[in-house]
Amino acid sequence: MSHATGSRVQQHIGDPLSAEPALPLTKLEEIFKDIQSDLRFDHELNGCLNCGICTATCPAAHYYDFSPREIVQLLWTENLEGIYDAMQEKIWACAQCYTCAARCPFGNSPGGLVMLMRETAIKHGMQSAKNVLRPFSRVMLKLISTGNQLSPDMINRDHFADWGPNISKIEAPLKLLRQAIPMPTLNTTATAWEVNLKTSVELYTIWEETGVLKQLETVDENLFDVISDIMDEKREDWKDFLADQEDEKDEKDD
Amino acid sequence: MDKRVTGSERFTGHGPEWRDSNLSSEDARIATSWVEQKIDKRSMLTNKDRVEDVRDIMWQLEKDGEIVVHRVADEHEPMMVKTLYGWDKKIPTKRLWHHKSCGQCGNIPGYPASLLWLMNRLDVEYLDETDQTSCTAWNYHGSGIGNIESLAAVFLRNFHQAYVAARAQGLPDAYYYPLVHCGTSFGNYKEVRSYLLHSAKLRERVTQILGKLGRLVDGKLLIPEEVVHYSEWLHVMRTRIAAIQEIDCGNIRATIHPACHVYKMVPEDAIYDDNINDGNRLANSTGIMQALGAQVIDYSTWYDCCGFGFRHIISEREFTRSFAIDRKIKVAVEEARADVMIGHDTGCITTLDKNQWIGKAAGKPVELPILADCQFAALVCGAHPYKIVQSHWHASPTETLMEKLGIDWQAKKAEFVAYLDQVKAGKQENLYDPRRMRTSGPGFIPIAKLP
Ligand code: SF4
Ligand code: SF4
Repeated sequence: MSHATGSRVQQHIGDPLSAEPALPLTKLEEIFKDIQSDLRFDHELNGCLNCGICTATCPAAHYYDFSPREIVQLLWTENLEGIYDAMQEKIWACAQCYTCAARCPFGNSPGGLVMLMRETAIKHGMQSAKNVLRPFSRVMLKLISTGNQLSPDMINRDHFADWGPNISKIEAPLKLLRQAIPMPTLNTTATAWEVNLKTSVELYTIWEETGVLKQLETVDENLFDVISDIMDEKREDWKDFLADQEDEKDEKDD
Repeated sequence: MDKRVTGSERFTGHGPEWRDSNLSSEDARIATSWVEQKIDKRSMLTNKDRVEDVRDIMWQLEKDGEIVVHRVADEHEPMMVKTLYGWDKKIPTKRLWHHKSCGQCGNIPGYPASLLWLMNRLDVEYLDETDQTSCTAWNYHGSGIGNIESLAAVFLRNFHQAYVAARAQGLPDAYYYPLVHCGTSFGNYKEVRSYLLHSAKLRERVTQILGKLGRLVDGKLLIPEEVVHYSEWLHVMRTRIAAIQEIDCGNIRATIHPACHVYKMVPEDAIYDDNINDGNRLANSTGIMQALGAQVIDYSTWYDCCGFGFRHIISEREFTRSFAIDRKIKVAVEEARADVMIGHDTGCITTLDKNQWIGKAAGKPVELPILADCQFAALVCGAHPYKIVQSHWHASPTETLMEKLGIDWQAKKAEFVAYLDQVKAGKQENLYDPRRMRTSGPGFIPIAKLP
């Protein structure tokens, strides 16, 4: 691309003084259509007074070059290049607190619209999405393979050095401390609670049927491969369990 | 003077047309004082042109034979509360199916354990089982991986399991009613329920998926009459909980952090009570704290989020910790001289609790004990601070709170350390019979075979 000069805007949406955009208009339209065609879009965008209540109350606007009012305006005015530009970085600043949605007098949900843009960034395999999601891969691996998003063994000093020297204020092996929780479902270390095998297998069907695995493959192929292997293994385990049940039943019938 | 807009702190991201007004701090205070007044009022959330109660659509769809509604029945002994617009919401008090939170169970296990302990004390029947996934919404809000169909299918699968779970005990369907522990799940499920009720296309898609899983009722989707958060259960049970209180907490200055996904997502379904915060703020947590006799102290940033950010807690921690310290902990300590901050959601408790230690390195040494409302309630009702409340997982100084409550935490800690030997020998104490936790699959013991 001939426009790869200094500014982020030039890099992503081209030189504003040049006649040719960095991305063909049809591509920009396609991206906007993907955002707009989500069934939530019309519930979350009802016009905009440009009043800025959303931005005034937004925690992310405190710390980042990000404004929910701007996001809503870009979508409302169908500013295709601006939308594409915001998807490079800005949309990832949102903290998803929905203060904006609770307070917008027009009933808009800027935070919800950000989610539609994030989903679309993933669908189009945007580099921004890949970069941003790399540190999130541990959570995704856990979630897709077990249905839990966090597990006790993920909380350790290597990953959370800034949380202080004590993950637990009582020194003892993690396994023992988990056994000492008086809920038997929680006596685990690799998942937050013990997950029924059937539950995991049902969840895999949901991931497949709803295109989530495809999303994952687009942003992180390695992670996708690892997860596919885990899923195959658990499905085999479930099949074996069902076969054993059948055998037991047959034995009884005899 | 408004501390929040002084010095170098500026709002950003307003777009190129934005110009700084350069107001003096006094003029800025006058100019924004009306906002401050409005922000503290319920009207801030009710200034909408259109509001609808999606339960009207739900009853119509059931009438038309399209869906089945899982009712909060008389057997669940519901209590009625009022929500933002004065609508009724039914909160079941008995026969509850615990929809756990992965963040709570993984990281703050005393949170669910305290809730179950309170239920045992109040003789509330429940089921805590292994056939459930998380709502998957933390990951969704953080990463964008997932979509409305996956969120809806996960919601309906879990709630269907709650509906049929009692079969494993030889009991009828609809016996248990789901109680959602996590605020993120609660907000997400309410939002997803609304989209399911609005969109025939979404219903059609997920009916196919749920059909494949064998998770339909009479070939139809099962929709819960109410989506209920545990803090709502705690709220309606507050006088019954106060009746078993053992430790006086009248000297405790408590600040409340209301959780965004509990009351800002689908705000019309959150509980408001004219006798609590003058009906201007969410009643959850404040209600139970007042019933227990604690002093609930106001602070100016009560409405701010905690800084969790879903993605930020993992990969943009500077934002998370700055927000947690500057906008929440520091304000609660300096303005309210708080002894504790009480929350009712997973991400907030984690964020506010874990991000204090690093404050020292950043030249902002603030310390404030952080607990969930049910942990505080259990503590003052005599629950063991380590065996039940599991306060050792909290990084914040819960010990100072215990001292103020007159609890000898050092002795209790020593008891717990000694108890670990018993656990090592496989003789741990449980809140319920472990054999009930599996309702199918490997390890399941059918009820008839239980000795
Ligand atoms: S609060 Fe609503 S109407 Fe006002 S600027 Fe934000 S999105 Fe637009
Ligand atoms: S949801 Fe996002 S845009 Fe809305 S107030 Fe929160 S951080 Fe800002």
